[in-house]
Amino acid sequence: MSVTTTALARPAAPRPWTFHMTSFRVVLLGIAGLGIGSVLYRFLFGLSASTNLTDQWPWGLWIWWDVAAGAALAGGGYSTALMVNFLGGDKWRTVERGAFLTSMLGYVMVSGGLLLDLGRWFNFWRPIRFWGYHSVMFLLFWCVAGYTVVQLVEFGHIWVERVPTPRMTRLMHRIYVPVLIVGVVLPILHQSALGSLFIVAKGRLDPLWWSMLLPLFFLMSSFFVGPAMVAIENIVSARAHGRRAPVPVLGDMVRVTGKLMGVYLVLKIADLVWRGELGRMFEGTTASNFFLIEMLIGIVVPGAMFLLPRIRQTVGGLFAASFLVVAGVVFNRANVVFTGMARSVNAPSYFPYWMELAVTGGLIAGAVLTYLFITENFPILPERGAAPSPAPGSARAAG
Amino acid sequence: MRRDSAGEPPGGPTDPGRREFLKLVGATAGAAAAAAVLPSGAIASPERVEELAREHANDPGMLIDLSKCIGCGACVTACKFQNDLTWRQDQPWLGPDAQLASANWTVVRTFEPETEPSGSIRYAKRQCMHCLEPACASACPVRALRKEPNGPVTYDVTRCIGCRYCLVACPFSVPTFEWDRPISKVSKCNLCFQRVSHGEATACAASCPVRAITFGKRGELLEKARATLAADPERYMPRIYGEKEVGGTSVLYISDATFPEVGFREGLPTEPIPDYTWQVSRLALPVAATVGAVLTTIWVRRSRALERGAAAPSASPDGEKPGGTHA
Ligand code: SF4
Ligand code: SF4
Repeated sequence: MSVTTTALARPAAPRPWTFHMTSFRVVLLGIAGLGIGSVLYRFLFGLSASTNLTDQWPWGLWIWWDVAAGAALAGGGYSTALMVNFLGGDKWRTVERGAFLTSMLGYVMVSGGLLLDLGRWFNFWRPIRFWGYHSVMFLLFWCVAGYTVVQLVEFGHIWVERVPTPRMTRLMHRIYVPVLIVGVVLPILHQSALGSLFIVAKGRLDPLWWSMLLPLFFLMSSFFVGPAMVAIENIVSARAHGRRAPVPVLGDMVRVTGKLMGVYLVLKIADLVWRGELGRMFEGTTASNFFLIEMLIGIVVPGAMFLLPRIRQTVGGLFAASFLVVAGVVFNRANVVFTGMARSVNAPSYFPYWMELAVTGGLIAGAVLTYLFITENFPILPERGAAPSPAPGSARAAG
Repeated sequence: MRRDSAGEPPGGPTDPGRREFLKLVGATAGAAAAAAVLPSGAIASPERVEELAREHANDPGMLIDLSKCIGCGACVTACKFQNDLTWRQDQPWLGPDAQLASANWTVVRTFEPETEPSGSIRYAKRQCMHCLEPACASACPVRALRKEPNGPVTYDVTRCIGCRYCLVACPFSVPTFEWDRPISKVSKCNLCFQRVSHGEATACAASCPVRAITFGKRGELLEKARATLAADPERYMPRIYGEKEVGGTSVLYISDATFPEVGFREGLPTEPIPDYTWQVSRLALPVAATVGAVLTTIWVRRSRALERGAAAPSASPDGEKPGGTHA
């Protein structure tokens, strides 16, 4: 019998919602408050009052962190969903829910960041009506919007266990599989579209990063950063709850991603050779040094650590390597948005205004608080619930 | 494939999922690489530029002769009147710091080219180039920016969402944004769309006292530019800026100083920018359909296998899940 069928037949006694206040959470609330204040200020007084953006640097911290990097870090949701549900990785199912949750919060953050950044935000729905289908931004809009909805539905699956409503539960089961499939297709489009976004900068983005393969590079890196994020999340929350992190499961997952990182590295170099830009790597400019750092610290070192069982099967090794992967991907996005563009920008470099930082900090704090609330009230983390998440196949057979 | 054993959950060395996964990754990577790289070699055809030039030969355009410009700024004033733009001290429209901005659809910037005798000055009048295949319009998610059938690239504020992708996309860094308003709009020259649609010249061209700006049909302007260069090869750089840049632009420049010295960007491709991006964005639907189909197939196959397993009384589907790993 699967968990869901039990929930269907015998509604659990309502459990009160809880949210334990700790000093850490109070600090987070404070940061979130400052963020909300800055958001209000931005809406009242505009972008030049609240950001350091200019005509020369039209995209800044919010696009880099909230949208590009945030989306990549939320890649754990779809990569886990793909591996667990479609590629025979049932043994990783225990971490699936946590990955979904992080990813959902990540996307809510991405949508929030994107909306704030729009100069005419009240028009945000217009791409529904006017189809600039040539535009990568159009694609991006549809993917972010669609995937945020999909993730809310995916989470709805967990919600109906906690708050039993038989009608909803049945609906959830009926649409579970299509949602699961769309929930892999949309992020694949979205992550690659984030890369395609910069193809337009041909002739301006540094050739170290500009490539027709940008979409593929963004897609692959969002895929391999996923398990790293899942590992970090599990290790941190296990420590916070005084449990043991599921290192064997995580270690097994990152081994697969370690291999993918190898493919990525080879492809990156092959692409540079193909375009005749390999030499640029060693020119000693800021851009080339940043590129080398990105590849060595963000790909080569952690990729090797993931492939060595002795390292990935220890909490410390797993955590360190995962951290490097995450930092590497975030750095890569920064290099595409800022470092690589700097050479063709005729203006001093951009550094975010404190309110931009406050807004981003607020978004992150809000996401962490929501995460804490949800893990406290829903069976998300592996060791908490009595059983792993329901096997949809069986749920369908039963319902 | 070597299997590392210690402490790993059951899954088996011959776990088909993993192999399937690696195969899928390989196949997807290969297909995408081929799809993206191969046509990117194919678009670099000189015929494309010629074809565009023919297609747009009758579009309104401007030929700007930088060697004639005296930097008086009459064109800027005409533009500001024509388009109801303000004069803002923080947005200089003449001089060495002049820059396109929300209130400046055109500016005249001063340069001191190093190759010229010291003290000699050049003035560069800048505005939107009105590309034949505009990157800004192809980048706009709502088609707020578009190329009008008769040539000019215009902007419709009511549609714009303010994403500023056009600012990122424009190879000449032309569009600007009204940063200091709570609700901002994009700002850029529209080649006096109303005027040229009625057959009139642009305000700037009409106001130039030394005829540094010639208004006319792009095809004829190209002829004129070539003739001017040929008549005085000593004086001019042997180049028409805008003839081939990103597939060609409706505004063309000739100059007696080198173009980078007077602030023009070099190293732009001769292929239209939208040709690059379209190769990728047109893949979106096919990729989505393929991935969706593959996933559906996998799902159907897997649930059939599960059902077969469930037929045996003892093996519930859940029994196949490695429930022990999280104990
Ligand atoms: S110069 Fe820039 S703004 Fe003008 S049409 Fe070309 S891409 Fe668009
Ligand atoms: S800022 Fe406006 S005009 Fe520019 S790309 Fe975005 S929606 Fe289009």
